[in-house]
Amino acid sequence: MGPMISVENLTRAYGSFVAVDDVSFVAQPGRVTGFLGPNGAGKTTTMRVMVGLTPATSGRVTIGGRLYRDIPNPGRHVGTLLDASAQHKGRTGREILTLGATTMGLPKSRVDEMLHLVSLSDAEAGRRLRNYSLGMMQRLGIAHALLGDPSVMILDEPANGLDPAGIRWMRDLLKGYAGRGGTVLLSSHLLHEVEVIADEMVLIGRGRIVAQGDKRSLLAGDGTQAAVTLVTSLDDRKLGEALQRAGHTVTMAPPGEPGIRIEADAETVGRAALDQQVVLTGMRSGAAGLEDMFLRLTSDTQREGMPPGPPPPPPAPTQASPAGAPGAPR
Amino acid sequence: MTATPYSAPGSLPTLDVSGTSPVPLTRLVGVELRKGFDTRAGRAYSLTVLGLCAVVMLVIALLVTEGFQDFADFLTAMGGTLGFFLPIIPILLVTQEFGQRTGLVTFTLEPRRSRVVLAKLLAGLAITLGVMVVALLLAAIGTALASLRGFDPDWGLELSQLWSFVLATLIAVFIGFAIAMLVMNTAAAIVLYFVYSLIVPTVVAFLSAFIDWFADLAPWIEFNTAQQPLFSGDYRPSVEEWGQILTAGIIWLAVPLALGIWRLLRAEMK
Repeated sequence: MGPMISVENLTRAYGSFVAVDDVSFVAQPGRVTGFLGPNGAGKTTTMRVMVGLTPATSGRVTIGGRLYRDIPNPGRHVGTLLDASAQHKGRTGREILTLGATTMGLPKSRVDEMLHLVSLSDAEAGRRLRNYSLGMMQRLGIAHALLGDPSVMILDEPANGLDPAGIRWMRDLLKGYAGRGGTVLLSSHLLHEVEVIADEMVLIGRGRIVAQGDKRSLLAGDGTQAAVTLVTSLDDRKLGEALQRAGHTVTMAPPGEPGIRIEADAETVGRAALDQQVVLTGMRSGAAGLEDMFLRLTSDTQREGMPPGPPPPPPAPTQASPAGAPGAPR
Repeated sequence: MTATPYSAPGSLPTLDVSGTSPVPLTRLVGVELRKGFDTRAGRAYSLTVLGLCAVVMLVIALLVTEGFQDFADFLTAMGGTLGFFLPIIPILLVTQEFGQRTGLVTFTLEPRRSRVVLAKLLAGLAITLGVMVVALLLAAIGTALASLRGFDPDWGLELSQLWSFVLATLIAVFIGFAIAMLVMNTAAAIVLYFVYSLIVPTVVAFLSAFIDWFADLAPWIEFNTAQQPLFSGDYRPSVEEWGQILTAGIIWLAVPLALGIWRLLRAEMK
């Protein structure tokens, strides 16, 4: 089975600003593909091009081998949620779904099925959208995307505004959907959100794809992984000195964490502790995870950059500060 | 909230479009009609326009003393009222897609935007026709009230008078569409429409009063002025007056409408 969504050398420029720069990736049927990147990396623009809301400058996107505009009654094949708040605030949730169902030629009963599916009660469905919480809006948006029983779903930040139970619910729903052969492409700027749900990940930073693959191949392909162990014991000094004598680099654990950091694998550290008769109280891998990798790969695109340390504390306001000093209370 | 398992039977097919037909235009028109009335603002506005027509009718029927009680007079008054306020309905129909950002869904469900534009035009026309029928009824009621007051109104209505009423109302509605698609913003579109329908003719009339050659030119380039023969005299524009309606119509209706449609077909839906 070939890829369902195929993004081919997609570029979208606004004047001299290139929002999406020669992006290529695929999403396979039966898989949840996570589209991950910091804010402003080009995720939304890519998804908007997919469904024809934004014209591509060059390159193209096909879904099931077709351009989106060539799919007849596309809502029956591709479920889209780009922005759950992009609905008339004066319409009720039920009315919004009814308009969608009518356009797609679906029976009204489908509206009730979808409301039930996303756990919106009759009373909630009768409320106008301006009275919806972000989480309710998001559920309504997912209901709208599922109306036409599509085989492909394109979701931009679907977990946005959902509470932890809601996120768990959505994860189960999308996993089940992919399990039955559906194709899911979902974007997020939160790694943890994507990590637990996505089978495949596509990382984007400043309009360019910086890495893609499943979680294991992403970490394996990242050649900077040396074994690092974080350890706490009843005598960190004695253990650390022994490991240093054995030729391993030993430093303090990262700020805020107890114990010491050793550039060696867990077995080496355990054997050293055994030799030195030091009681270990905790030991875990200190290797850089997906998050470090994500931050590093997209670091030049993060607005905050990667500050080397915590920001300097604000000047402590004291009664003794000289009059007129900035920030001093009067 | 409790989690409900997604329980559609069977497995999902791959993208097989052989059994799917495109969204028919009738369905799109139906959806656009529904959008015109499924918000409080949409319903209230249509009722307000009809309410204004009713007030105008009552004022003429009950307060005007002499000489403006014929059925045709009432129809002219209705047409004037509709010409001012009815175009707001198509404006709302178009600009909600941008102001409320419903265009994201509308144009995702029907990416062939020209069909959405056509559906909106047809839905707008259907609403306009409905309102015109009610306005005709109101004009008849007004005439009947006038005869109850002891006047002897003329019930006769020549086809040209009815035709003028319909044409002028349709022109106003299409101009509303054109402006809405050009500016894609509710407030700006409404303001622009009133600039077109109130300020432009006032300025033109002012200039015409002082500059002779401009007075001759005005009906050729100013649409409201050009349409005057539709509302006055024998309601039968002369050949020259039809020419003026045509040239001014190209400037104020055809060109803006074409530009508006062109813009909407190409715009990025934000």
